Amino acid sequence: MNANATLLAAAEVASSAPSPGYVAIDQVRKIYNAGTRHQVEAVAPTSFSVKAGEFVSLLGPSGCGKSTLLMMIAGLEAPTQGSISVAGRAMTSPRAETGIMFQDPTLLPWKSALDNVLFPFRAMNRPVEPEIVERASTLLDHVGLQGFHGHKPRQLSGGMRQRVAICRALVYEPDLLLMDEPFSALDAITRDEMNLVLMKMWEEHHRTAVFVTHSIREAVFLSDRVLVMSRRPGRIIEDVRIPFSRPRGLEIGETIEFNEICGHLRSKIEHRPH
Amino acid sequence: MVSTAEAPPAIATADTPILERLRPLMLPTAFAAGVLLAWQAVVFVFDYPKVILPAPSDIFAALTGNFAEIWQHTVPTIRDTLAGFVLAALFGVGFASLLSFSKLLRDAIYPLIVVIQLVPKIAWTPLFIVWVGIGWQSHLTIATFIGFFPIFIAMMAGLESTDRSLVRLCQGLTATPGRAFWLVRLPASMPYLFAGLKIAITLAVIGVIVAEFISASEGLGFLILKSAALLQTDVIFAAITVLCVLGLVFYGAVHAGEIAVRKWRGE
Repeated sequence: MNANATLLAAAEVASSAPSPGYVAIDQVRKIYNAGTRHQVEAVAPTSFSVKAGEFVSLLGPSGCGKSTLLMMIAGLEAPTQGSISVAGRAMTSPRAETGIMFQDPTLLPWKSALDNVLFPFRAMNRPVEPEIVERASTLLDHVGLQGFHGHKPRQLSGGMRQRVAICRALVYEPDLLLMDEPFSALDAITRDEMNLVLMKMWEEHHRTAVFVTHSIREAVFLSDRVLVMSRRPGRIIEDVRIPFSRPRGLEIGETIEFNEICGHLRSKIEHRPH
Repeated sequence: MVSTAEAPPAIATADTPILERLRPLMLPTAFAAGVLLAWQAVVFVFDYPKVILPAPSDIFAALTGNFAEIWQHTVPTIRDTLAGFVLAALFGVGFASLLSFSKLLRDAIYPLIVVIQLVPKIAWTPLFIVWVGIGWQSHLTIATFIGFFPIFIAMMAGLESTDRSLVRLCQGLTATPGRAFWLVRLPASMPYLFAGLKIAITLAVIGVIVAEFISASEGLGFLILKSAALLQTDVIFAAITVLCVLGLVFYGAVHAGEIAVRKWRGE
């Protein structure tokens, strides 16, 4: 009894202690096919945290485990070791307050743009009130899709589809936005446009965001902090704060400071151990 | 002035697409008419006995002359085919959906169904007659049995082929497996389902006709056998003509359903 009480008190002290971050990754490691001949260590033991309202990019070469790390934060993959907590709660399964954007727009081809934005409510079996439809319409207008609400994904361009996906990730007002290379399939010009759209939406809604990319410039442009990951097994090898004030425009990409930061990050990616 | 100046191109553009659109219909129709004419001519010139090869005109006469009897035998064939097809669709879609929720069940049962599928299912017909009796029950059962496999296998393929990222999206949104099935996997498998339905409706007609060959007192299969025994070759051809029309109508109905679903999917 006494021992239990002490344990409880200790637990209370632990939970009331200032949280290390809104998203806290503690010694997280991911091994696929553990214990078999095909064992692959995707993520080496890694720790970092993201503060509430912060936009953090995970930058690294293809196959470095950055997407795996993101999927673990989403609760879609379980870590082999270590723990992840979001908003003070340990992640064991996906949480309804997280918005996810994938590399593909992953829209339902048979639904209109507006219905795709409303999809999270149907998936979570929540009622779609008129004000929610209103909110979805406003979001679509804000990403420049006025007049395309009724269009099916097939009738939209790649960039427009990813815009719909941004609205879908924001419509249920998640407190955390996770993005897995959402613009990597788009051409350079569309990609710049999408970065601006995302920037604008993020500045309006100000969610905590974790963004996975292998584009150095994209990471620097969007983020408050860039975490560089090593080759597989991935671990954080550099943590760089991006000093530019907001709102940002594409022209910051022309500044010397911007390019110096990019150069520094590039050297970190190329000077990989082994 | 303006209207006459605009008139010629308007007529030309309205004219060409109609001919273009009718072309795929006109060519086979004209060819079929040619074959029928040649058939009629051959029978007339060489004076074949009607019992060996009736002319198209004889078949038409048999069709109109015996229409009441032929129709009386057409109704049970339609009934058993459609009922068997609907049951096959219900069982096929239901069973595939059920298996899609359990990997254990799927791994245990799916390979067996694929093996059974390799056996010519028409060979089971006498068995069903022994089990469920002569008459419509066995006709319906064989149509259901034979139509089940293509629907089940197509539906399984459709459910398996659902975009994995869409399934992930549902998981990320904390959708229950049932909701993900209803909102994503079921609609995503529709094109596959229709491919299966098209095969199944054709097979269901075959199943019913074979069952009617073996044991029946009604149906187009029975009429064909009876007419063969009486050497009424023209009536056999008349019954086959009706079967052609039935097959076309059934297939067309499934195809129309597919087009409606494609339209709904925004294709």
